[in-house]
Amino acid sequence: MSEGRARVVAWLGREILPHEGDLRAWLRRSFAVAGDVDDIIQETYCRLASLTHVDHVDQPRSYLFQAARNVALEQIRRARVVRIETVSEMDSLNLMHDAPSAERVISGRRELERVRSLIAVLPERCRRIFEMRKIEGVSQREIARRLGVTEHVVENESVRGLRAILAAMTEQDRPSGAKGPKEKTDGRTRKRR
Amino acid sequence: MVERESAADIEADAARWVVRVDRDGDDPAVRAGLESWWAGDRRRVGAYARAEAAWLHLDRAQVFAVEAPDQPAGTSGTRRSVMAAFGVLAAGVAVALVAPRLLFRRYGTALGEIRHLPMADGSMAAINTDSALEVAMRPRLRAVRLDRGEAWFEVAKDAERPFVVESGPVRVRAVGTAFSVRRREAGSDVLVTEGVVEVWTKGGKTPPRRVSAGQRVFADNTLGILTPPKAEVDLNRQLAWRDGQIVLDGQTLVEAAAEFNRYNKRKIEIADVRLADARFVGWFRTSDPEGFAQAAATTFKGSVSISDDAIVLRGG
Repeated sequence: MSEGRARVVAWLGREILPHEGDLRAWLRRSFAVAGDVDDIIQETYCRLASLTHVDHVDQPRSYLFQAARNVALEQIRRARVVRIETVSEMDSLNLMHDAPSAERVISGRRELERVRSLIAVLPERCRRIFEMRKIEGVSQREIARRLGVTEHVVENESVRGLRAILAAMTEQDRPSGAKGPKEKTDGRTRKRR
Repeated sequence: MVERESAADIEADAARWVVRVDRDGDDPAVRAGLESWWAGDRRRVGAYARAEAAWLHLDRAQVFAVEAPDQPAGTSGTRRSVMAAFGVLAAGVAVALVAPRLLFRRYGTALGEIRHLPMADGSMAAINTDSALEVAMRPRLRAVRLDRGEAWFEVAKDAERPFVVESGPVRVRAVGTAFSVRRREAGSDVLVTEGVVEVWTKGGKTPPRRVSAGQRVFADNTLGILTPPKAEVDLNRQLAWRDGQIVLDGQTLVEAAAEFNRYNKRKIEIADVRLADARFVGWFRTSDPEGFAQAAATTFKGSVSISDDAIVLRGG
C-alpha cells in the first residue's frame, strides 16, 4: 500500500466511517430507495479512496456529505426519471450535516474503547480470532495453527467478523440508541428549510 | 448475466478481499486478482476501501491494549518526564562531546524559502520550504538529522564516511549519490536521483531496502518499508522545487493546491468538490499561488477570490 493510500484509508476509518450511519439516514430521507443508498455509499467511498491525500479536508463530515450528494445527483440525472422535488430538495440540502451530533465528538480514548467493544461482542471463535489478529498481532496462518483449524476457517470467520464490525461501526443494525430508529425517519421533516 | 451486481454482494466480496490481502498481500497473484476484481465495477473499489478502512481501524485496539494497564493519569506523565530528563541529559552529553569541535550545524528555512547549502565535505544540500535539519560531520560518519520538511542531497563520495540521513526513525544511508528525503507525519519519502541508497526504519519490522536512481520509497515510522521501491518517471518534476518551481503534469487541483500551500502563508482552497479532481498542466513559481489559481480558474471556467490569508477557487 502506498503511503498516500495508507493515510487516506486510515483517514476513512477515523474520520469518515463514524459518519456513515448519519449519511445513510440522510440519503434515505432525501433519496428514498434503499438499494440506491448502498450504491451511492460505495460510489462515494470510491471517490474518497481516489484522493491522494486528505490534509486539505478540514471537515471530513461535510466533505463526505458533499461527495455523496454529488454522487446522488449524478445518479438521479442519469436515471432520467427525475422526481423534481427530489432534485430540488437535494440541491437545497444545505448543511444540516455540518454539525456532528454530540455523541460524534468523542475522545480518542473512547474511540479505542469502542473499537475494543466492537470486537468483544463478536461470537466466541470469531472474537478470539480478532483478538489474536488485531490486538496480539498474530498472523492468520499462526492463528489457524494455534486454534487447530484450517486457514480457510480463519478466513471465513474473519470475513464474518469484519462484516459485523463494519455494520456496527456504521450503525446499520443498531436497534436503538441516541438517535432512535432510523427506518422511521422517512416522511419526517421532508422540508427542512 | 447482464443483471447489475447488488451492493450487498459487493460488500461481502470486499470483506473477503480485505481478509485475503491481510493474509497474502505480498503474493502478486492475490494483488492481481484484487485489481481485476476492482476493474469490474467502481463500487467495488469503494466497498473495498470502506472494508479496508474498518479492518485497519481495528488495529487501534492494539494501542488500547498496550495503554490500558496503567490507569492513574499520573504514571505515564511521570514516565514521560523521566524520559525527557534522560533526553536532555543525553543531548547535553552529546553537545559537550561534540560542540568544541564545531561539528554540529543547524540549518532552517522559512515558509517559501529554498536554500542551497554547500557542506564541509563537498556535498550539496537543497533545503525546501519550512524545513529544519542538523548536520554533524564526524570522523567516520556524516550524519544529517531532518527534523522537519524536505531536503535533497548530492553526496560527495567518501567510502570511509557513510552519509546517513535520520528522518524520525527512518534512516537513509548513502556513500556517493543523490537523493531527497521528505519527512511526513507517518514516515518519510525517499527519492533517489543518482546511485543507490539504503533505507530502513529504526525498530521497524522490515529489513533495509536498496533504492536506486529513478525510484521512490516510503518508509513508515513504525512498520518500516511495506511496499517495494517504485520507479518514478518524473523525478525532475518532483524536484523542481530546488529551482523554486512547481511543475504540474496532470496533477489534480487539490494536489496542486497542497503543493503551493507548502510554500505560502496565503493558502489555496478548492471550494468546489467538482473542481477538486480536475487535472492540470503548467509551470509556476512556488511563490505565485495567485498565478496558478487564476490559470486554473480560466481553464475550468471558475472564479478566484483572494483575501489576506486565502485564495479561494470556485467552480463556474
